[in-house]
Amino acid sequence: MPRLSTREDLELMEKRILHDMKKINKTLIVCGGTGCRASRSQGVIEALNKELLEHKMDSKIHLRVTGCHGFCEQGPIVVIEPDNTFYCHVKPEDAHDIVIKTLLNDEIINKILYTDPVSGEKICKEEEIPFYHMQDRQLLYQNHKVNPLSIEDYISIGGFSALSRVINNMSPEEIIHEIKVSGLRGRGGGGFPTGRKWKECREAPSDEKYIICNADEGDPGAYMDRCLLEGNPYLVLEGMMIGAYATGAQKGYIYVRNEYPLAVKHARHAVQRARKLGLLGENVFGSSFTFDVDVARGGGAFVCGESTALMASLEGKVGEPRPKDVHTVIDGLWHKPTTLNNVETWANIPSIILKGAKWFASKGTKGSKGTKIIALTGRIKNTGLVEVAMGTTINSVVFGIGGGAIDGKSIKAVQTGGPSGGCLPVDKFNLPIDFDVLYEAGSMIGSGGVVVMDESSCMVDVAKYFLEFLQDESCGMCTPCNLGIDRMLEIVTDITEGHGTPAQLNLLEELADTVNQTSLCGLGKTAANPVLSTLNYFRKEYEEHINNKKCPACVCKTLIEYFIDSEKCTGCSACMHVCIHEAISGNKKEVHIIDPVLCQKCGICKSECKFEAIRVK
Amino acid sequence: MLHYITINIDGADIKTPKGVSVLDTAIEYGICIPHLCHVPGLSDIGACRLCIVEQITNSHSKITASCTLSVQDGMVIRSNTDKVRKLRHNIAELLIAKAPNSRAIQDIAVRCGVKRVRYPFRNENCVLCGRCVRACSELWHANALGFIGRGKERHVERPLNIRQEFCKNCGYCIQLCPMTITPCDGPIKPGKEYLCGNCESQLIIAEETSEKCVWCELGKGFNCARYSQC
Repeated sequence: MPRLSTREDLELMEKRILHDMKKINKTLIVCGGTGCRASRSQGVIEALNKELLEHKMDSKIHLRVTGCHGFCEQGPIVVIEPDNTFYCHVKPEDAHDIVIKTLLNDEIINKILYTDPVSGEKICKEEEIPFYHMQDRQLLYQNHKVNPLSIEDYISIGGFSALSRVINNMSPEEIIHEIKVSGLRGRGGGGFPTGRKWKECREAPSDEKYIICNADEGDPGAYMDRCLLEGNPYLVLEGMMIGAYATGAQKGYIYVRNEYPLAVKHARHAVQRARKLGLLGENVFGSSFTFDVDVARGGGAFVCGESTALMASLEGKVGEPRPKDVHTVIDGLWHKPTTLNNVETWANIPSIILKGAKWFASKGTKGSKGTKIIALTGRIKNTGLVEVAMGTTINSVVFGIGGGAIDGKSIKAVQTGGPSGGCLPVDKFNLPIDFDVLYEAGSMIGSGGVVVMDESSCMVDVAKYFLEFLQDESCGMCTPCNLGIDRMLEIVTDITEGHGTPAQLNLLEELADTVNQTSLCGLGKTAANPVLSTLNYFRKEYEEHINNKKCPACVCKTLIEYFIDSEKCTGCSACMHVCIHEAISGNKKEVHIIDPVLCQKCGICKSECKFEAIRVK
Repeated sequence: MLHYITINIDGADIKTPKGVSVLDTAIEYGICIPHLCHVPGLSDIGACRLCIVEQITNSHSKITASCTLSVQDGMVIRSNTDKVRKLRHNIAELLIAKAPNSRAIQDIAVRCGVKRVRYPFRNENCVLCGRCVRACSELWHANALGFIGRGKERHVERPLNIRQEFCKNCGYCIQLCPMTITPCDGPIKPGKEYLCGNCESQLIIAEETSEKCVWCELGKGFNCARYSQC
């Protein structure tokens, strides 16, 4: 492949690819993201390939294996362009039908159509699915168009034209001004204005500067960075190149955790392809701009998502944070000015350059612009990756896109922002997704994880879960984070086990505040948020645990008791057989009894009982 | 030639050479900021967080550790506000609850006004201040000690758990360790931990002159940086 040494080369290549694509009348898009791979999309891809070859359709029909579409629970997903017929839960044996019926005869296969869990209707087209049509998919839609292993696909949708525009027509100051006007803020959690960060880095005096893409995503349940990097690595790469041109950096790193093997593979492949085309390396597009990127793998420590710890890890040291009194834009990687942004932030850059800052700023609220990808999980009907404009209310995300609660239960709270964020109760669901509003409410957008909880979740237990996570993932260097989280966990464990006292509640609050204020790095400074926000909004649950020794959600094991409803029990003995602790006794066709001393509260009997006779009090 | 700048600590304008830390400047001028992991001559990591101060910029206050904060011209620092004292008290309480078996930490608790410990005592031997690790690597370049693990697993250990040949037997790690000086009444037995109140003569000093260095006896336990200056 020839090197793209000028802007015209890129345009020519785009034209050539588009010309070649005209021969193709239909495209089969199969999701090959990690989520769909887990539901065996690899088998579907092989079967489809085989069928296409068998029917000699491989020249007319293009099979594109793409990154994540966001609707992972419906995987493996197959979409057929240009009609956008949407098939879900596709199995390899469906491949024959897809090729014969849908591709050859334009028939719809009802069996693998999507059923809307809210209305119960079958939906044929992708854009008609409520989960998709309520979103504003600026970044995620590109995943459909691009095979992550094909740079040609990316160029065909206008890829790298933003880069060629900035190199040929814009000065670094103009780019920074454009980013500033767009109002883009860091998507990794902090929400720092990206334009300001770039400006400070540009102005920092140094002969060497660095660009880092932070793909060390570690929040439980969040995977938008993985999805972007493995679905469309070129987009991230182009954003980094523009950032490098604007700040004057010569070297960039993509720091991606090793637990994301596909993202590592695709990012490496993208870097190699871009180097071959001359997009990375010396004199990009014939200019004096020189930039190269390396992919660095992280060992999977949550704390390495913190910028200074990440840089320490990149330098080959132990991934521990250092004080940030001097910002990393001045004293960063190897003590050189460094611009570190999240994957999603980088991915937003090319479209700001192409479509303009005004276009970007037209979406969102006063303080938060653009769109945000959210990893929507928990006790709702539709889960997956969701991209909405900033300012969309939590209500419309949870009840609109998410489809509301499952099993007829009522939703109690959302947890946003992972371990650094907090829990918001239902009466706060009218709040918009906005950096400042959520921060004031005691939570944060964070990297964008949203976990929906219904009445079966105990908020004290949720706080305990996050404290356990943070205790494991804290580097343990500073006192408040190490000892403080430990003691908070001790108190919360006491409460869930029924030994809590009202005085402990005040101590917990005071300690949480101390940890938040005095910790060394961002991890510690936000570590107490799960505790503080649950204490703030769900204090009654804590008090119920302490004063009445009851867990309202029946989660905390020491405070609950399993019993058999004598009216419903038919004496089938099913529970007796599954109880490994031999805590259930009773004769056939007579009411059974659970021995509370032997019962270990594992709940197996409850899930086994067909008559709902086993209850918790 | 040293380049001098002026910073303001607790209302006093202080001239200080560029490049030193706020903690060093304060101690030099007799302003007491309790500290534990800071040792003169070693690099600061800001681990113990006892030396926190309020840094005021444009009437906006920020809590930060003074040992890792370099002085800058016109900087405004408050080292002894109610807020700082309360946070410092809470950190000292965490430390003493973890490792009461050390005169140094008992002294720090007195200095920070801890009168009651609200957590169950543990009798552990290390508070991860890292003085030994830094002395070993920075003073002697021996690297015979280091931190292993993260979170609650973090501890100080020798490479491969054995004493290596490159350990120079200098004993500096022991000398600097706050845990090697036992409380005045002797080592505390497990299960019988207490908050030592034997420094009653010092309590008044701690309460009434919490902002000034009065060469209190409390600093001797952990080699207060003021003592090492003379």
